[in-house]
Amino acid sequence: MTLKQKIESDQFIICGEIGPPTSCDGNVIREKSKYFKDYVDAVNITDNQRAIVRLSSIASAKILIDEGVEPIMQITCRDRNRLAIQSDLLGAAALDIRNVLCLTGDYHTFGDHPETKGVFDLDSVQLVATVAKMNSGFFLSGLEMKKAPQFLIGAAANPFAEPFEMRLIRLHKKINAGAHFIQTQPVFDLEIFTRWMERVVEMGLHKKAAILAGVMPVRSAKTLLLMKERVPGIKINDEYINRMKYAHDSKEEGVKMAVEIIQTLKNMNGVRGIHLMPMLWESITPTIIREAKLNKTN
Amino acid sequence: MPENLVTINKPPITASERKVSRLLLFFEDIIKVPLFRCQHCGECILSSTAFICSQNCPKRIRNGPCGGTREDGSCEVFPERKCVWYRIYFRSKLLNRISLLYKIKKIHNWDLEHTSAWLNVFKKRIEAPIWFVRNDKQKVKDIIHNDVETKD
Repeated sequence: MTLKQKIESDQFIICGEIGPPTSCDGNVIREKSKYFKDYVDAVNITDNQRAIVRLSSIASAKILIDEGVEPIMQITCRDRNRLAIQSDLLGAAALDIRNVLCLTGDYHTFGDHPETKGVFDLDSVQLVATVAKMNSGFFLSGLEMKKAPQFLIGAAANPFAEPFEMRLIRLHKKINAGAHFIQTQPVFDLEIFTRWMERVVEMGLHKKAAILAGVMPVRSAKTLLLMKERVPGIKINDEYINRMKYAHDSKEEGVKMAVEIIQTLKNMNGVRGIHLMPMLWESITPTIIREAKLNKTN
Repeated sequence: MPENLVTINKPPITASERKVSRLLLFFEDIIKVPLFRCQHCGECILSSTAFICSQNCPKRIRNGPCGGTREDGSCEVFPERKCVWYRIYFRSKLLNRISLLYKIKKIHNWDLEHTSAWLNVFKKRIEAPIWFVRNDKQKVKDIIHNDVETKD
Protein backbone atom coordinates (compact mmCIF):
# COMPACT_ATOMS: atom_id res chain seq x y z
CA MET A 1 0.00 0.00 0.00
CA THR A 2 1.32 3.44 -0.82
CA LEU A 3 1.15 6.42 1.51
CA LYS A 4 -1.59 7.88 -0.68
CA GLN A 5 -3.79 4.81 -0.25
CA LYS A 6 -3.11 4.78 3.48
CA ILE A 7 -4.15 8.40 3.79
CA GLU A 8 -7.31 7.73 1.79
CA SER A 9 -8.19 4.80 4.03
CA ASP A 10 -8.54 5.35 7.78
CA GLN A 11 -5.24 4.06 9.05
CA PHE A 12 -2.99 5.67 11.62
CA ILE A 13 0.04 6.92 9.71
CA ILE A 14 3.63 6.89 10.97
CA CYS A 15 6.31 8.91 9.19
CA GLY A 16 10.01 8.99 9.92
CA GLU A 17 12.76 11.38 8.93
CA ILE A 18 16.31 10.99 7.65
CA GLY A 19 18.77 13.82 7.16
CA PRO A 20 21.12 13.06 4.24
CA PRO A 21 24.86 13.12 5.03
CA THR A 22 27.18 16.06 4.35
CA SER A 23 29.19 13.90 1.97
CA CYS A 24 28.59 11.72 -1.09
CA ASP A 25 28.38 8.55 1.01
CA GLY A 26 25.03 7.02 0.05
CA ASN A 27 25.61 4.12 2.44
CA VAL A 28 24.78 6.40 5.36
CA ILE A 29 21.20 6.57 4.06
CA ARG A 30 21.12 2.83 3.38
CA GLU A 31 22.25 2.19 6.96
CA LYS A 32 19.71 4.59 8.47
CA SER A 33 16.88 3.23 6.32
CA LYS A 34 17.13 -0.09 8.20
CA TYR A 35 15.81 1.57 11.35
CA PHE A 36 12.69 2.69 9.50
CA LYS A 37 11.94 0.00 6.93
CA ASP A 38 9.66 -2.28 8.94
CA TYR A 39 8.40 0.33 11.37
CA VAL A 40 7.12 3.40 9.50
CA ASP A 41 4.91 4.05 6.45
CA ALA A 42 7.10 6.67 4.81
CA VAL A 43 10.31 8.55 5.52
CA ASN A 44 10.98 12.25 5.00
CA ILE A 45 14.20 13.19 3.23
CA THR A 46 15.27 16.68 4.18
CA ASP A 47 16.40 19.17 1.56
CA ASN A 48 19.59 20.89 2.78
CA GLN A 49 18.12 21.41 6.22
CA ARG A 50 19.32 24.37 8.28
CA ALA A 51 20.78 25.64 4.96
CA ILE A 52 23.76 23.26 5.15
CA VAL A 53 24.95 21.54 1.99
CA ARG A 54 23.95 17.89 2.00
CA LEU A 55 23.42 15.04 -0.40
CA SER A 56 20.51 16.06 -2.61
CA SER A 57 17.03 15.05 -1.56
CA ILE A 58 16.12 13.55 -4.93
CA ALA A 59 19.15 11.24 -4.94
CA SER A 60 18.55 10.27 -1.31
CA ALA A 61 14.89 9.55 -2.01
CA LYS A 62 15.91 7.31 -4.91
CA ILE A 63 18.28 5.39 -2.62
CA LEU A 64 15.40 4.88 -0.17
CA ILE A 65 13.16 3.53 -2.94
CA ASP A 66 15.89 1.03 -3.85
CA GLU A 67 15.99 -0.02 -0.20
CA GLY A 68 12.24 -0.62 -0.21
CA VAL A 69 11.25 2.41 1.87
CA GLU A 70 8.70 4.93 0.62
CA PRO A 71 10.25 8.42 0.65
CA ILE A 72 8.65 11.83 1.17
CA MET A 73 10.93 14.22 -0.68
CA GLN A 74 11.18 17.66 0.87
CA ILE A 75 11.56 20.54 -1.54
CA THR A 76 12.36 24.11 -0.50
CA CYS A 77 12.10 27.46 -2.25
CA ARG A 78 15.40 28.70 -0.86
CA ASP A 79 17.67 27.16 -3.46
CA ARG A 80 15.58 27.04 -6.62
CA ASN A 81 13.59 29.33 -8.84
CA ARG A 82 10.38 28.20 -10.49
CA LEU A 83 12.22 26.61 -13.42
CA ALA A 84 14.44 24.46 -11.23
CA ILE A 85 11.57 23.52 -8.93
CA GLN A 86 9.41 22.28 -11.80
CA SER A 87 12.33 20.51 -13.43
CA ASP A 88 13.26 18.78 -10.16
CA LEU A 89 9.66 17.74 -9.65
CA LEU A 90 9.55 16.18 -13.12
CA GLY A 91 12.80 14.38 -12.34
CA ALA A 92 11.41 13.12 -9.05
CA ALA A 93 8.25 11.84 -10.73
CA ALA A 94 10.34 10.03 -13.33
CA LEU A 95 12.22 8.28 -10.51
CA ASP A 96 8.92 7.11 -8.95
CA ILE A 97 9.08 9.50 -6.04
CA ARG A 98 5.40 9.99 -5.28
CA ASN A 99 5.34 12.22 -2.21
CA VAL A 100 6.67 15.75 -1.83
CA LEU A 101 6.68 18.05 1.16
CA CYS A 102 6.65 21.73 0.18
CA LEU A 103 8.57 24.15 2.39
CA THR A 104 9.79 27.72 2.15
CA GLY A 105 13.15 26.72 3.62
CA ASP A 106 15.40 27.91 6.42
CA TYR A 107 17.06 31.24 5.79
CA HIS A 108 20.56 30.86 4.31
CA THR A 109 22.37 32.99 6.90
CA PHE A 110 21.81 30.19 9.45
CA GLY A 111 23.76 27.71 7.32
CA ASP A 112 27.30 27.01 6.22
CA HIS A 113 27.19 29.40 3.25
CA PRO A 114 25.76 32.57 4.79
CA GLU A 115 27.17 34.67 1.93
CA THR A 116 24.91 33.10 -0.68
CA LYS A 117 21.82 34.57 -2.31
CA GLY A 118 18.56 33.04 -1.15
CA VAL A 119 16.21 32.57 -4.07
CA PHE A 120 12.70 32.54 -2.53
CA ASP A 121 11.07 32.91 -5.93
CA LEU A 122 7.95 31.19 -4.57
CA ASP A 123 6.76 30.69 -1.02
CA SER A 124 5.50 27.42 0.40
CA VAL A 125 1.81 28.19 -0.24
CA GLN A 126 2.56 28.99 -3.87
CA LEU A 127 4.78 25.89 -4.09
CA VAL A 128 1.88 23.70 -2.93
CA ALA A 129 -0.30 25.32 -5.60
CA THR A 130 2.44 24.79 -8.21
CA VAL A 131 2.63 21.05 -7.50
CA ALA A 132 -1.17 20.86 -7.58
CA LYS A 133 -1.13 22.59 -10.96
CA MET A 134 1.48 20.16 -12.26
CA ASN A 135 -0.68 17.28 -11.01
CA SER A 136 -3.47 18.63 -13.17
CA GLY A 137 -1.15 18.54 -16.18
CA PHE A 138 0.05 22.13 -16.55
CA PHE A 139 3.26 24.03 -15.99
CA LEU A 140 3.21 27.42 -14.26
CA SER A 141 3.59 28.97 -17.70
CA GLY A 142 0.21 27.52 -18.63
CA LEU A 143 1.70 25.04 -21.11
CA GLU A 144 0.31 21.55 -20.99
CA MET A 145 2.59 18.58 -20.32
CA LYS A 146 2.24 15.24 -22.05
CA LYS A 147 2.27 13.17 -18.90
CA ALA A 148 1.21 14.66 -15.59
CA PRO A 149 2.92 13.58 -12.35
CA GLN A 150 0.70 12.27 -9.56
CA PHE A 151 2.25 13.66 -6.42
CA LEU A 152 0.85 13.36 -2.95
CA ILE A 153 1.36 16.92 -1.70
CA GLY A 154 2.48 17.65 1.82
CA ALA A 155 2.99 20.91 3.67
CA ALA A 156 4.25 21.93 7.08
CA ALA A 157 2.52 23.77 9.89
CA ASN A 158 3.88 25.30 13.05
CA PRO A 159 1.21 25.48 15.76
CA PHE A 160 3.68 26.93 18.27
CA ALA A 161 4.86 30.14 16.60
CA GLU A 162 3.12 33.46 17.07
CA PRO A 163 0.54 34.73 16.14
CA PHE A 164 -1.64 31.70 16.85
CA GLU A 165 -4.62 32.67 14.67
CA MET A 166 -2.42 33.60 11.70
CA ARG A 167 -1.00 30.04 11.73
CA LEU A 168 -4.51 28.71 11.13
CA ILE A 169 -5.09 31.16 8.30
CA ARG A 170 -1.90 29.97 6.65
CA LEU A 171 -2.82 26.33 7.20
CA HIS A 172 -6.17 27.06 5.57
CA LYS A 173 -4.33 28.59 2.60
CA LYS A 174 -2.03 25.59 2.22
CA ILE A 175 -4.89 23.10 2.32
CA ASN A 176 -6.90 25.24 -0.08
CA ALA A 177 -3.91 25.35 -2.43
CA GLY A 178 -4.03 21.55 -2.60
CA ALA A 179 -2.09 19.98 0.27
CA HIS A 180 -3.09 16.39 1.02
CA PHE A 181 -1.24 16.01 4.29
CA ILE A 182 0.23 18.34 6.90
CA GLN A 183 3.23 17.64 9.11
CA THR A 184 3.66 19.80 12.20
CA GLN A 185 6.70 20.95 14.11
CA PRO A 186 7.65 18.70 17.05
CA VAL A 187 5.15 18.80 19.90
CA PHE A 188 6.74 19.71 23.22
CA ASP A 189 3.76 21.62 24.53
CA LEU A 190 0.60 19.57 24.53
CA GLU A 191 -1.57 22.39 25.83
CA ILE A 192 -0.93 24.65 22.83
CA PHE A 193 -1.18 21.74 20.42
CA THR A 194 -4.55 20.68 21.85
CA ARG A 195 -5.83 24.25 21.49
CA TRP A 196 -4.55 24.37 17.88
CA MET A 197 -6.06 21.00 17.02
CA GLU A 198 -9.44 22.05 18.41
CA ARG A 199 -9.43 25.07 16.11
CA VAL A 200 -8.38 22.90 13.14
CA VAL A 201 -11.31 20.56 13.78
CA GLU A 202 -13.64 23.53 14.24
CA MET A 203 -12.57 24.87 10.82
CA GLY A 204 -13.07 21.42 9.32
CA LEU A 205 -9.52 21.32 7.98
CA HIS A 206 -8.81 17.82 9.34
CA LYS A 207 -11.30 16.42 6.84
CA LYS A 208 -9.55 17.96 3.87
CA ALA A 209 -5.97 17.00 4.76
CA ALA A 210 -4.39 14.42 7.05
CA ILE A 211 -2.77 16.10 10.05
CA LEU A 212 0.42 14.34 11.16
CA ALA A 213 1.74 15.60 14.48
CA GLY A 214 5.49 15.93 14.91
CA VAL A 215 7.24 13.98 17.67
CA MET A 216 10.93 14.37 18.43
CA PRO A 217 12.67 11.98 20.81
CA VAL A 218 15.60 13.68 22.54
CA ARG A 219 18.62 12.24 24.28
CA SER A 220 19.40 14.90 26.86
CA ALA A 221 18.21 18.06 28.54
CA LYS A 222 21.01 19.89 26.74
CA THR A 223 19.41 19.20 23.35
CA LEU A 224 16.11 20.61 24.57
CA LEU A 225 17.74 23.71 26.00
CA LEU A 226 19.71 24.28 22.79
CA MET A 227 16.53 23.93 20.73
CA LYS A 228 14.67 26.34 22.95
CA GLU A 229 17.46 28.85 22.60
CA ARG A 230 18.47 28.45 18.97
CA VAL A 231 15.43 27.27 17.01
CA PRO A 232 12.94 30.12 16.57
CA GLY A 233 9.27 29.25 16.60
CA ILE A 234 9.51 26.18 18.83
CA LYS A 235 7.92 26.11 22.27
CA ILE A 236 9.16 23.65 24.87
CA ASN A 237 7.31 23.12 28.10
CA ASP A 238 9.64 23.51 31.10
CA GLU A 239 8.20 20.34 32.56
CA TYR A 240 9.96 18.29 29.86
CA ILE A 241 13.26 20.07 30.38
CA ASN A 242 13.12 19.44 34.14
CA ARG A 243 12.19 15.82 33.62
CA MET A 244 15.19 15.30 31.35
CA LYS A 245 17.51 17.22 33.66
CA TYR A 246 16.72 15.19 36.78
CA ALA A 247 16.23 11.84 35.07
CA HIS A 248 18.36 8.92 36.23
CA ASP A 249 18.91 7.76 32.65
CA SER A 250 18.18 10.61 30.27
CA LYS A 251 18.02 8.41 27.16
CA GLU A 252 15.42 6.17 28.76
CA GLU A 253 13.48 9.21 29.92
CA GLY A 254 13.61 10.62 26.38
CA VAL A 255 12.00 7.46 24.99
CA LYS A 256 9.40 7.49 27.77
CA MET A 257 8.53 11.10 27.01
CA ALA A 258 8.18 10.47 23.29
CA VAL A 259 5.95 7.45 23.91
CA GLU A 260 3.77 9.46 26.28
CA ILE A 261 3.37 12.26 23.74
CA ILE A 262 2.54 9.76 20.98
CA GLN A 263 -0.15 8.12 23.10
CA THR A 264 -1.78 11.45 23.91
CA LEU A 265 -1.67 12.48 20.24
CA LYS A 266 -3.09 9.16 19.10
CA ASN A 267 -6.28 9.72 21.08
CA MET A 268 -6.66 13.34 20.00
CA ASN A 269 -9.57 14.18 17.72
CA GLY A 270 -8.40 15.04 14.19
CA VAL A 271 -4.84 13.69 14.43
CA ARG A 272 -4.35 11.19 11.61
CA GLY A 273 -0.84 10.12 12.37
CA ILE A 274 2.56 11.07 13.71
CA HIS A 275 5.75 12.30 12.14
CA LEU A 276 8.73 10.97 14.08
CA MET A 277 11.92 13.02 13.71
CA PRO A 278 14.75 11.50 15.68
CA MET A 279 17.47 13.95 14.70
CA LEU A 280 20.85 12.11 14.78
CA TRP A 281 19.21 9.34 16.82
CA GLU A 282 17.56 7.25 14.09
CA SER A 283 18.44 3.98 15.85
CA ILE A 284 15.81 4.65 18.55
CA THR A 285 12.87 4.48 16.11
CA PRO A 286 12.11 0.72 16.47
CA THR A 287 12.11 1.00 20.29
CA ILE A 288 9.70 3.92 20.29
CA ILE A 289 7.33 2.35 17.78
CA ARG A 290 7.32 -0.88 19.80
CA GLU A 291 6.78 0.82 23.15
CA ALA A 292 4.02 3.06 21.80
CA LYS A 293 2.33 -0.10 20.51
CA LEU A 294 2.08 1.19 16.96
CA ASN A 295 2.07 -1.00 13.90
CA LYS A 296 3.04 -0.27 10.35
CA THR A 297 0.23 -1.21 7.96
CA ASN A 298 1.22 -3.07 4.85
CA MET B 1 -6.28 26.38 -6.11
CA PRO B 2 -6.47 29.87 -7.61
CA GLU B 3 -7.23 30.13 -11.31
CA ASN B 4 -4.25 32.24 -12.29
CA LEU B 5 -1.36 31.37 -10.07
CA VAL B 6 1.18 33.67 -11.66
CA THR B 7 0.93 37.35 -12.58
CA ILE B 8 1.53 37.18 -16.29
CA ASN B 9 2.92 39.81 -18.67
CA LYS B 10 -0.33 40.78 -20.21
CA PRO B 11 -0.26 43.24 -21.86
CA PRO B 12 3.56 43.17 -22.26
CA ILE B 13 5.45 46.28 -21.17
CA THR B 14 6.64 48.32 -24.14
CA ALA B 15 9.78 50.46 -24.13
CA SER B 16 7.81 53.70 -24.20
CA GLU B 17 5.67 52.51 -21.33
CA ARG B 18 8.76 51.84 -19.26
CA LYS B 19 9.59 55.54 -19.54
CA VAL B 20 6.13 56.52 -18.31
CA SER B 21 6.46 53.93 -15.61
CA ARG B 22 9.74 55.41 -14.42
CA LEU B 23 8.18 58.87 -14.19
CA LEU B 24 5.18 57.57 -12.28
CA LEU B 25 7.43 55.57 -9.99
CA PHE B 26 9.13 58.82 -8.98
CA PHE B 27 5.85 60.15 -7.60
CA GLU B 28 4.82 56.77 -6.21
CA ASP B 29 8.09 56.59 -4.28
CA ILE B 30 7.50 59.96 -2.62
CA ILE B 31 4.43 58.46 -0.97
CA LYS B 32 5.19 54.78 -0.66
CA VAL B 33 8.81 54.74 0.45
CA PRO B 34 8.50 56.91 3.57
CA LEU B 35 5.09 55.52 4.52
CA PHE B 36 5.46 51.82 3.78
CA ARG B 37 9.17 51.26 3.08
CA CYS B 38 8.10 50.18 -0.43
CA GLN B 39 10.44 47.67 -2.10
CA HIS B 40 9.25 48.42 -5.66
CA CYS B 41 7.95 44.97 -6.50
CA GLY B 42 5.55 46.58 -8.96
CA GLU B 43 2.83 44.21 -7.89
CA CYS B 44 1.45 46.01 -4.87
CA ILE B 45 -0.58 43.96 -2.36
CA LEU B 46 -0.52 46.62 0.37
CA SER B 47 -4.30 46.81 0.57
CA SER B 48 -4.67 43.12 1.40
CA THR B 49 -1.85 43.16 3.95
CA ALA B 50 -3.34 45.96 6.06
CA PHE B 51 -1.02 48.56 4.51
CA ILE B 52 2.23 47.00 5.71
CA CYS B 53 4.64 46.08 2.91
CA SER B 54 5.10 42.29 3.01
CA GLN B 55 8.17 42.60 0.79
CA ASN B 56 10.22 43.81 3.77
CA CYS B 57 10.27 40.17 4.91
CA PRO B 58 13.80 38.75 4.39
CA LYS B 59 12.28 35.81 2.50
CA ARG B 60 9.94 38.18 0.62
CA ILE B 61 7.05 35.86 1.45
CA ARG B 62 3.77 36.94 -0.10
CA ASN B 63 1.76 34.32 1.81
CA GLY B 64 3.31 34.62 5.24
CA PRO B 65 4.38 34.18 7.94
CA CYS B 66 7.09 31.50 7.87
CA GLY B 67 7.44 29.16 10.83
CA GLY B 68 10.21 31.10 12.50
CA THR B 69 8.42 33.96 14.23
CA ARG B 70 9.79 34.17 17.79
CA GLU B 71 7.71 34.22 20.92
CA ASP B 72 7.84 38.02 21.20
CA GLY B 73 6.91 38.36 17.51
CA SER B 74 10.40 39.19 16.25
CA CYS B 75 11.89 37.97 12.98
CA GLU B 76 14.03 34.82 12.99
CA VAL B 77 16.61 36.39 10.67
CA PHE B 78 16.81 39.84 12.27
CA PRO B 79 15.76 39.45 15.94
CA GLU B 80 15.86 43.23 16.41
CA ARG B 81 12.89 43.71 14.05
CA LYS B 82 9.33 42.58 14.37
CA CYS B 83 8.18 39.90 11.91
CA VAL B 84 6.42 41.70 9.07
CA TRP B 85 3.61 39.17 9.00
CA TYR B 86 3.16 39.40 12.77
CA ARG B 87 2.50 43.11 12.32
CA ILE B 88 0.25 42.44 9.32
CA TYR B 89 -1.92 40.09 11.38
CA PHE B 90 -2.44 42.47 14.28
CA ARG B 91 -3.01 45.48 12.01
CA SER B 92 -5.54 43.47 9.95
CA LYS B 93 -7.33 42.56 13.16
CA LEU B 94 -7.40 46.19 14.23
CA LEU B 95 -8.70 47.39 10.86
CA ASN B 96 -11.11 44.45 10.42
CA ARG B 97 -9.41 43.19 7.29
CA ILE B 98 -8.72 39.56 8.35
CA SER B 99 -10.78 38.11 5.48
CA LEU B 100 -8.24 39.49 2.99
CA LEU B 101 -5.49 37.37 4.56
CA TYR B 102 -7.25 34.16 3.50
CA LYS B 103 -6.67 34.88 -0.17
CA ILE B 104 -3.66 33.18 -1.80
CA LYS B 105 -1.41 35.87 -3.27
CA LYS B 106 -0.15 35.26 -6.79
CA ILE B 107 3.42 34.29 -7.65
CA HIS B 108 5.48 37.42 -8.25
CA ASN B 109 6.26 38.46 -11.81
CA TRP B 110 9.87 39.63 -11.71
CA ASP B 111 9.46 41.55 -14.95
CA LEU B 112 7.29 44.01 -13.03
CA GLU B 113 10.09 44.66 -10.51
CA HIS B 114 10.86 48.42 -10.35
CA THR B 115 7.82 49.41 -12.38
CA SER B 116 4.96 51.61 -11.24
CA ALA B 117 2.24 49.59 -9.50
CA TRP B 118 -0.25 52.37 -10.25
CA LEU B 119 0.36 52.00 -13.96
CA ASN B 120 0.13 48.24 -13.66
CA VAL B 121 -3.27 48.54 -11.98
CA PHE B 122 -4.38 50.92 -14.72
CA LYS B 123 -3.19 48.48 -17.39
CA LYS B 124 -4.99 45.63 -15.52
CA ARG B 125 -1.84 43.57 -15.07
CA ILE B 126 -2.47 43.41 -11.34
CA GLU B 127 -5.58 43.62 -9.21
CA ALA B 128 -6.86 46.96 -8.02
CA PRO B 129 -6.49 47.76 -4.31
CA ILE B 130 -9.38 46.96 -1.98
CA TRP B 131 -10.15 50.08 0.05
CA PHE B 132 -13.10 49.03 2.19
CA VAL B 133 -14.02 45.71 3.73
CA ARG B 134 -17.53 45.34 5.12
CA ASN B 135 -18.67 42.58 7.48
CA ASP B 136 -15.20 41.18 7.86
CA LYS B 137 -16.17 38.63 10.54
CA GLN B 138 -19.05 37.29 8.46
CA LYS B 139 -16.76 37.00 5.43
CA VAL B 140 -14.22 34.97 7.42
CA LYS B 141 -17.02 32.67 8.56
CA ASP B 142 -18.24 32.27 4.99
CA ILE B 143 -14.76 31.41 3.72
CA ILE B 144 -14.30 28.69 6.35
CA HIS B 145 -17.87 27.42 6.15
CA ASN B 146 -18.02 27.21 2.36
CA ASP B 147 -14.87 25.14 2.25
CA VAL B 148 -16.26 22.61 4.68
CA GLU B 149 -19.46 22.35 2.69
CA THR B 150 -17.77 21.72 -0.65
CA LYS B 151 -15.92 18.77 0.87
CA ASP B 152 -18.98 17.10 2.38
